[in-house]
This record gives sequence, structure tokens and C-alpha cells, in this order.
Amino acid sequence: MRHISTIAARELRSLFVSPVAYVVMSLFSVLAGLFFVLGVAAFNSRVMQLRQFQATDMLATLNLNDHLIGYFFDSMSVVLLFLVPGVTMGLFSSEKSNGTQELLLTSPLTIWDIVLGKFTAGALFVTILVGLVAVFPGILFAYGDPEVGKTASGLLGVLLVCWTYVAIGCFASSITRSQVVGFLITFVLLLFLLLLPAIADLGVAGDAPQLGAALRWLSTGDHFQGLMRGLVDTSDMVYFAVIIGSFLLLTKAAVESVRWR
Amino acid sequence: MIEARDLSKRYGEVVAVDGVSFSVDRGEVVGFLGPNGAGKTTTMRMLTGFLPPTDGSAEIAGHDIFDDALAARRAIGYLPETPPLYPEMTVSSYVTFVARIKDVPRRARAEAVDRALERCALADVRSRVIGTLSKGFRQRVGLAQAIVHSPPVLILDEPTVGLDPIQIGEIRGLIAELAAGEGDDRHTIILSSHILAEVEAICRRVILINEGRKTVDASIDELTRDGKTLEGLFAQETARDTVAADSAAGGGGAS
Repeated sequence: MRHISTIAARELRSLFVSPVAYVVMSLFSVLAGLFFVLGVAAFNSRVMQLRQFQATDMLATLNLNDHLIGYFFDSMSVVLLFLVPGVTMGLFSSEKSNGTQELLLTSPLTIWDIVLGKFTAGALFVTILVGLVAVFPGILFAYGDPEVGKTASGLLGVLLVCWTYVAIGCFASSITRSQVVGFLITFVLLLFLLLLPAIADLGVAGDAPQLGAALRWLSTGDHFQGLMRGLVDTSDMVYFAVIIGSFLLLTKAAVESVRWR
Repeated sequence: MIEARDLSKRYGEVVAVDGVSFSVDRGEVVGFLGPNGAGKTTTMRMLTGFLPPTDGSAEIAGHDIFDDALAARRAIGYLPETPPLYPEMTVSSYVTFVARIKDVPRRARAEAVDRALERCALADVRSRVIGTLSKGFRQRVGLAQAIVHSPPVLILDEPTVGLDPIQIGEIRGLIAELAAGEGDDRHTIILSSHILAEVEAICRRVILINEGRKTVDASIDELTRDGKTLEGLFAQETARDTVAADSAAGGGGAS
């Protein structure tokens, strides 16, 4: 435990003395703000439209959670898919190119200390990013009355999805010495994760319904949507734990593999 | 302090280190000598636990590098060929980080870091960022991280490579000091080099490794007793193997 926090603290410090952390945080704030303003504008014009047509029953179903915050969280999870690889790309690959891997592996640390320390650093950093996301629904609370529970569980969804990105990024970074390659592998894996539901639908509609269902389960989509609807389901928590755990296990194997060669 | 028994490392067909055994007593300073690619670095990496040997075993300060890996690693200070530095960290935060991962207890940590910086003459640059330091300073930071937890055993892979003559002198002086200390300060040191004068200046004993095998293991006094020089020995040992290999190949062809 002590070692995990030592590794994580060092990693975070390095992230914050390099421009990466600030570039990611500022770019993300701008993008998040933009998406939020556009979302509010779209919601507004929708309300205006429905009022004009006096569609009161439709107006009654319109609410901030489903028609604004949900979309916003959804787009944030996609924006973060582009940014998180930039944060995680150097976690392991730079240790190899710096030669510091040799220091870590000859210190009285276990491989898990290293892997969990690095994952913790990445996860804490994206938690800050998700904190930035939380600011925007906060504004809505000042002017409207979204549901607290639903908003909170949606935010938890964004957080868990981002932690999944970090675990995948750790793995990608651990199998290369180049940060650029680490970025690209992470990015492609995350895009694949995003496309999984579509691929799964092909299977469900075609000859392989079981495979389709399995792929659907593997994608973050359904689990994320459940949380977005305000359902904090144990099975979804298990899903995130399994995916994150599996990628950390792969990362551990990749770090350890220096010793097999 | 160091016991190596039949250490071997094979990469597929290629044999990098072939059955190297030796033992080093407390306070000894041993030079690993050999041409580039002879297996010095690989042997050191096996001792430090970075690479597992394909065959054989080793003990560091009584701890097996396999069965008691963490204790063995705690007993070693290791300076790889390229010092393992984080360029974006400051000197003191880096050495403090190393003290943490090497299990220096919290109470003793600040003092251990100060002492390591003092010994390596880094006190003046302690708040400088490592990436802005000259090569000589970086090498000293590398040495500071190796000694911060006062390990009984120091393993230094080409500690003076790429330094200018003045820096080489400083590093050599520092190594001599580390070997000469009392009690906890008395380190057992293995250092590798292909500079013969360096080994002659710092070490009292030489282990010559050529093509993965130990070919000579003797004290420098013994080796240079009859007016012989290390240069002569080095040339003779590394050449004899080539001649032997050539004649073996030639003999095979003739029969």
C-alpha cells in the first residue's frame, strides 16, 4: 500500500510539472463548456418549439436529466476517449525509454505495487477531469431542478468509464517503449470499445446471437446507460471491476515479461 | 556478501552468460572486466534481480535473489549503465522517491537523503531539475540513488563511462571512499568497466569475463606480480579465445 501511494504520488507530480496535465485540463474545460452551452441551447429551442405548438403532454415529459444532462455526459465520455490516451500514454512506456524501469524492477517493489500505483495516478487525474464535468450540471441546479440521484449516478458512470479508459491505457503503455505508439494503441482500443455495441448488433441480428450478446455485455454502452437512467446496479459495478481488473492483470503480465525474455 | 553459483543466461540459442560463479567478501571491491558484449551487464542484471538467470542462483547478503527477492533487492544499490533518472524531477525529490521505494524508514529518510547528496557533492544542486544537469552531475545523482538506503552491496555498471577526466577522478574518489568506510558505511562493490586503468586504480580484485565465461579471477597484486600488466593479460585472455575458436573451426574443416 505504502509503495502504491509512493509510485502514484511521483507519477502525479511528474504529470503536473509537465505540460500534459494542463493541456488536457484546459482543452477539456473548453470542450466541455462548448458541449454544455450547445446542449442548453438545443434544450431551450426544444422547449420553445413545444410551447409554440402547445404540446403540453410532451412538455411534461421533457426534463433536464434525460434531455440535457444525459446527452452531455454521453458526449463527455466520448470527448474523454480522445484525451485520456494522452494522459496514460507515458505511464509505462516512458519508464522504459528513461531506463527507470531498471530502478523500479530492482527495488523492493512488487509488480502490483508498480501497476496499481500507476493506475491510481491515472485514475486520480481523470477523477479531476470528471470533477470538471460535474461543474456544469451544478450550474443547472442553480437555475433548475434536475434530479440529484440520477445526476450523481450518471456522473458515477462517466467516472467508471474513464477509469476503464485508464486501465486500457495502462495496458497499451506497458507493451511499448514509445509514447506515440502507446497513444495510438489506446485510442484504437477505446474506439473499438465504443463501436462494440454496433458490432454486437450485427451479431444479434445475424447468425450469432450469443456472440452478439456477449459483445454487448463487454461494451461499456449498456452499463453506462443504466447508470445514466439512475440505476446503480451491482451487475454493472461487477462489469467495470472485471474490465478494469482484466486490463490491469494484462498490464502486470506485460511489465513482468521483461523478466521472461 | 555476494555468492554467484553457475549463473547462466541464454536467449534462445544465444548464450550471453555461461556458468559464472564467484564469491565476494564484505568490503571487497571487485572489477568486472571484459570487452563490450562479454556479458558483464547481463551478469550484473541477474545479481540485481532485473533479469532472472536461466540457470544457477545467487545470494546477496545471505538472501537468495529468487526465494527472498525483496530482501536481496533491499541489500543492493544499483547504478545501471544509463542512470535511471526522471528528467522532470528535482534532485532531492528524486533521491527522496528512491529512498521511499527502497524502504528507508520515514524517520531516517530526510537524513539519508541529505547524506547521499552530501557524499555525492550534490548539495548545491539539490533543488535543480535533473533534466537541466550536466552529464557528470547526472552520473552523481545516479550514484546518490544507489547509496541512499546504505545498502551493503553496490553494483555499478560502467560508472564513469562518457565522463570527462576530472569527473572520472571525482567518481573514482567517491567509489574509493564508499569502499573504505566503517561499519554500515563499508560497502561491498562490484563495478564493471572496460577501462583497465580504472579497474587498476579502484579495485583490488579482477574478474575477467569474455564471451559469457569467467576466464580470470585473481587479485591485481597477483596478476601484476611478475612485471605483467593488466593490458597484457586482457589482450592475452581475449585473444586466446579467438585463436582457440579459430583453430577449432579450422580443425573441424580439415578433418
